[in-house]
Order: sequence, then C-alpha cells, then structure tokens
Amino acid sequence: LDFYLPIAEISVNAPLLVALGAAVGFISGMFGIGGGFLMTPILVLMGIPPAVAVASLASHVAASSTSSVISYTRARAVDFRMGGVLAAGGAMGSVMGVEVFRWLRLMGQADLVVALSYLIFLGIIGGLMLTESLGSILRARRGDPPPPRRDRRPPWLYGLPLKLRFPRSRLYISVIPPILLGLFVGVLSAVMGVGGGFILVPAMVYVLRMPAGVVVGTSLFQIIITTTLTSVLQAGRNQTVDIVLATLLLIGGVLGAQLGAKASSRFRAEELRAILALIVLAVGLRMGLGLFLTPADPFVLMTGNG
Amino acid sequence: MLPATVDAAPPPPQAAVSAALTTTSVRVTSGFHGARIVLYGAIFDPAAGPSDVVVIVRGPEQPVRIARKIRVGGVWINSRPVVFRGAPGFYRTASTRPLDQIAGFGVLRRLGAGIDHLAIEAPDEQRVETRYGVRDMVVSRLGADYLEWRQAVVRLKQSAGLYDTDDQGVVFVDRGLFKSEIDLPTVAPIGRYRAQIVLFQHGQPVSQRVCDFTVEKVGAERALYVFAHERPWSYGLASVTIALAAGWAASAAFRRA
Repeated sequence: LDFYLPIAEISVNAPLLVALGAAVGFISGMFGIGGGFLMTPILVLMGIPPAVAVASLASHVAASSTSSVISYTRARAVDFRMGGVLAAGGAMGSVMGVEVFRWLRLMGQADLVVALSYLIFLGIIGGLMLTESLGSILRARRGDPPPPRRDRRPPWLYGLPLKLRFPRSRLYISVIPPILLGLFVGVLSAVMGVGGGFILVPAMVYVLRMPAGVVVGTSLFQIIITTTLTSVLQAGRNQTVDIVLATLLLIGGVLGAQLGAKASSRFRAEELRAILALIVLAVGLRMGLGLFLTPADPFVLMTGNG
Repeated sequence: MLPATVDAAPPPPQAAVSAALTTTSVRVTSGFHGARIVLYGAIFDPAAGPSDVVVIVRGPEQPVRIARKIRVGGVWINSRPVVFRGAPGFYRTASTRPLDQIAGFGVLRRLGAGIDHLAIEAPDEQRVETRYGVRDMVVSRLGADYLEWRQAVVRLKQSAGLYDTDDQGVVFVDRGLFKSEIDLPTVAPIGRYRAQIVLFQHGQPVSQRVCDFTVEKVGAERALYVFAHERPWSYGLASVTIALAAGWAASAAFRRA
C-alpha cells in the first residue's frame, strides 16, 4: 500500500510509516520527549529529503505531544507558567534556527552540522543520563541510602534579576535561565528536526532543579508551542511541510503516545532514564558514524536550491 | 558561370520517420509508482535502406547542486557545492544499436544524443582568461577535476534511475514498424518532456520527429501541492491544526475507553 507524497515527491509505504509513528509516539509518551531525534534519522534513511523530514516531523511531534500533555494535565503534572517562559525563549530560538538552517543548506554544510549536533548532544546527554541512572539503580539494589539530596541550587539561579514565582514547580527564580534554555532548544529543534525534549528534560531536572513530577508534562507543553511555530514557519518560509507524510506519522503517533504515557507508570523513574539513555546514545553514535566512515560515493547530490 | 543544374539525376526518395506515444500526459496520483510510456513509430523508405532509430527523451531542466566529500581531520565533510546547469531532470536515449556505431562523434554532439554529449556546464565556476597567450580561454575553477565532477552528476542521476542509455531500447516489431518503452521512475520530475525520434541512414540523420508529453500531479496531490506553494502560511496553519486536533482526539478517545 504505497502512497505518493506530494511535497517530498517520492512514494512510501503507508502502513510502515503509521507503525513507525506509533513506535516513536510510544517512546514519546513514555519518556516525555517529542521523539524527533529518533524519527528524523529514520525518515532520512528511508530516502525522504532531510528538509522535508525535519519540517513535516514538527507537526507529528506537536500531535503526539498534545495527545500526552492532555493526560499529564489531568494528573496536574504540567507547570504552565514555566512552560510558557521556556516557550517564549523557544519561539525566538526557532525563528533563528530556521534561518540558520537555510544558510547552512546554502553553504552545503547542513549534513555536517546535523550529524555533529547529533553526535555531540546525544552523546553527552545519553552518557550523563546513563551514568546517573545506572548509579541510582545500583544503589537501590545494594540497599544503600540515596546520596544526600543537594538542595543547594546554583547561586546564579538566584542572583539574577527578573524573578518569578513558579508555584507548581515550587520555585522562585529568575526567568533568564529558562528563557536561554528555551532559546537554545529552539535553535536545535529547527536545525536537528527535534522537539528538544532530550535536552529540556535533563536541564529542567539538573539545572533548574524542578520537581521530577512536573518535568515531563512541562517539557511536552513547551514542545507543542515550539514545534507548532516551527511547523508554520517551515511551511511559510520553505514550503517543505508534507501534510500527507505528517498525517500518516501522526495517526500512529497519537495512539502510541497514549499507550506510552500509560506504560510509563509501570516502570521506575531511574529504569526509564537508563533505557532512554541507551536509545539516545545509540542514535547519536549511529548518526555520528557517517562522519568517520569512507562514503560509498565521494560525491553527493544536494536536494533543493538552497 | 553556369547555373546549378538540377536534372543530373532524380533525387533519391527521402526516407521519413513517424512516431506517436501511447500517453501524452502521465498523471501523478497518490498511487503513483512510476509509469511506462510506449512509443510506436514507422519508417517510410521506398529505397528500404539500412536504418537506425534513436529516441532521445528529455525531462524539464533542473540545476544540479553537487558536493564532494573531503576528509578533514578524520571527518568526512562536504566541499563547497558546485551548481551544474543544463542538466535535464530526466534523460534517456534508446537506440537500435550502440550510438557510436550509428553515427560519428560530431553528429551525435550536435543532436545532444548520448549522456556524454549533454550540455551540462558549471557556469559559476568558469571564468575567461588569457592562458599561454591565448585570449578568451574558458577556464573552470574545478581544474582538472572538472570531468570527474561531471561524471559524478551523471553517475548519481543514473543510480536514481533518472539517466539511462539503452542501446537495444528500440526494437523493430515488424517491417518498418518500431517500438520503444520509456520507463519513468517515481522520482521523475514534474513538467514537460520531449521525445525526439531521429532516423539515421549511413551515419546521418535523415528525418526527425518530436513528441511531447507531460508529467503532472492531478487530484488531491495537485491540490495539496498548489495549496502548499501558493498559500504557504494557511497551509502551515492547516497542517498544524490537523496535528493538534488529532492529538486531542486520541486523548479524548482513550479517556473514554
């Protein structure tokens, strides 16, 4: 059952895409990430032009995030104020990111920057998460007491001006760190075709010190806002959103996200983090590998005209 | 001066070729999986001399951006991309025999018959300068590698199924009646195509015929494509609305279940 995609201008197997959407949606709902970091490389491997994959994915991520955010909202696990502040930074970031990506494509270096970003960011985040979660799993096995929680938050978090109260997260901090974080994630989201959850979630836990319970829901909420914006920008600016591709992916995605959100309550938090860390590391290494292997053909055709 | 004589010998009856396509418009719908167009043609030659037929199909022109992978510090990166112009988005020759047996280099070059004779150029890389005392020499910045770049364009297009040479692609099905099949891959570009049918005798083109056809999106595919390009912002809003609505619907459905 093949479908011709009107914007990507290639033919794809529809059931395969729906299944793929469901699998990634499941992971998305389970870990509170958009799942873009998984989906973009897979779509590109399937032969969909990277520009179309990145742009169409944004709306798939928005759909599966909406689907799971509603569940998290019912559980009162979304800090809307924090999400809004992050999204304000994210909006600026995605506008910048779309322009940066256009420029990179013009220079012919988009492939390199995308592969390097995957290798560096996924490598670092995956590595850190894996060490941390394996540590706590081992401690729990041995019955050691958890290390004393370092409640001393970094002083710069408190020293900065423009403080705002975030009751849901029990925080009273400056809005500057969340805005900068959102900005950074927004740029990455446009360049790498990801929602940015894999960076947001750890940053919210370790840098902003938000309570674990609200991190996932809030991250998803901010992802909806940034990806919605990215999607409209990519359609308006580059005409690279393929509505058929996005729809096929999101049919599976929204269902998968629901099942994932349900399944996540069956696992312990550190086990979840360890699994996610492995997935993140594997994808980062796979994308980075291409930089070091001798290419089969020394020449490469670039799609589009900039 | 004598006027040119016209009555020395009766001129040999001119051979002619005629051809038609089974389809003049290929419709790209959601089930599009490439297409096959059949070309039928006939040769009218009272002298019944030995004839060869070459069919050249060209798709709409598409500039090609190509980069070379270079190794820097153990990492493969792309060089600066080079733009080649004049490359058709689809190109295929079919003939009764290998082209170089049918006609000479100059004849083929003038017709643009055969991938080697395609006028693919990288004008942005060229500059005119004086070398060895010769003025107005066209020099490519790609230098000696120029041919390698050009070959790479052809090779990559061939592996995508967009360029092809078939030296047995024209077959005679009956006396004076020939047939050729043109296979368009799914990635064939949208636009106007031109099939040029050339009859060769004794290494010279004696008769030509041109048949045009189009590849176009129809129905929903066309509507979406036009929507995306003519009203991109509304298109973006529409696709996001679908996404958010689908997310909400799934969540509502699961809550009830």
